[in-house]
Amino acid sequence: MKKIVTTLVIVTILAVNISAKNWIIDQKGKTFIPSALIVHVGDTITFKNSDPFAHNAYTDAEANEFDVGMQATGKETHMTINGKESFSIECAIHPNMLLEVTVQ
Amino acid sequence: MIVKLGLTTLLLSSILYATADMKKWLRPVEVPQPKDNKMTPARIELGKLLYFDKRLSADETISCATCHHPKRGWTDLEPVAKSVGVGRGPRNSPTVLNTGYQNRQFWDGRVRTLEQQALGPIEADVEMNMPLIVLIPKLNKIQGYKKLFKKAYPSSNGSITKEYLAKAIASFERTVVSTIAPFDKFAMGNKKAISEEATEGFELFQNKAHCMDCHDKFNFSDGSFHNIGLNDGELTGKELGRYLTKDRPAWYGVFKTPTLRDVTRSAPYFHDGSVKTLTEATSICASGGRYKNNVKNKSTYIVDRNLSNDEINKIVAFLKTLEGPDMELKIPTKFPQ
Repeated sequence: MKKIVTTLVIVTILAVNISAKNWIIDQKGKTFIPSALIVHVGDTITFKNSDPFAHNAYTDAEANEFDVGMQATGKETHMTINGKESFSIECAIHPNMLLEVTVQ
Repeated sequence: MIVKLGLTTLLLSSILYATADMKKWLRPVEVPQPKDNKMTPARIELGKLLYFDKRLSADETISCATCHHPKRGWTDLEPVAKSVGVGRGPRNSPTVLNTGYQNRQFWDGRVRTLEQQALGPIEADVEMNMPLIVLIPKLNKIQGYKKLFKKAYPSSNGSITKEYLAKAIASFERTVVSTIAPFDKFAMGNKKAISEEATEGFELFQNKAHCMDCHDKFNFSDGSFHNIGLNDGELTGKELGRYLTKDRPAWYGVFKTPTLRDVTRSAPYFHDGSVKTLTEATSICASGGRYKNNVKNKSTYIVDRNLSNDEINKIVAFLKTLEGPDMELKIPTKFPQ
């Protein structure tokens, strides 16, 4: 019985890792594109910057706190969804830029 | 209930006739409203009474309107805000005009909504200095207010809480919107609505002077935060701006881009109220800031645009066309008892 449970746990962990997805968000025209995402714990988000100026994506959400710092044109940054808590990502320089992230 | 703002018909028709490149300068027909605090006449009227009621301050000498008065451009025409007693606050009183369209409130953007903003100055010791634990029981003893809260927010059952107080004041503040200024008529297609000098100023504003990089769209603000180089060296205290709310490097010494709507009415300028005239303010922004060097985290938009005095004057002539007539408002003189 113990073996079966252990196997199931391992299979589940592997399944989560295998199904983890990387989402691409572009920052263009002072907008996150797309502006909403539905993700799962373990997924990653890649932030591109196609604008001719810097951005600074961040969130203060407790379970997914994240701050890329100043991100220059053409650079990429990444974050991992660690907690099952939906949150908003904002640009520290351009607060009208909002990305709604729903964690399922 | 969706409250249509005044001049809706005029705005709708103007949007139809404005050319595509000018549409972004026209005010949206409706001000954004939170789902749990839709504007109603009862809420707006209640909020207005609270906004002008001096009993909301510790010594009953000042109200919200003292520092944000409709007859003074929704500000106070002082370098920094007045507080109860003889004190002064740390920053220039920002205008309430069009704050309903902003994504962040206060010079340092420390809160997002007007509901979150409304109670801050009431409690701040450098402003109205009235703790909510004192104010809420005080308001609950005023039967006139209890009736109005019950009418505006039936779920309150007449019991006044800080949440309902904030909602009512925010509802009124959302009605404080800019009126149709000469520039709006120009944007709608009437090219004679502003002078030739102002038209040239608008061209400079958008292009050579790069004012539009920060002062964009109908509210003439990008909603962003910038360090425009008013101070050099290491910053301390209030001059740290948004950095005071959290020490993100991008927030060092930055302050919110103010609206330019009715900017002729809201001198003195900048977060510290250190500049008396529009000409000087324009000159500082377009010449790379008051301090050109040794400014940490200065905005990349603030660079010397090599403008002549004549060009600065043309931009100022344009800025004057952003002043619209007073909004219709009956200031209350009697308050609930």
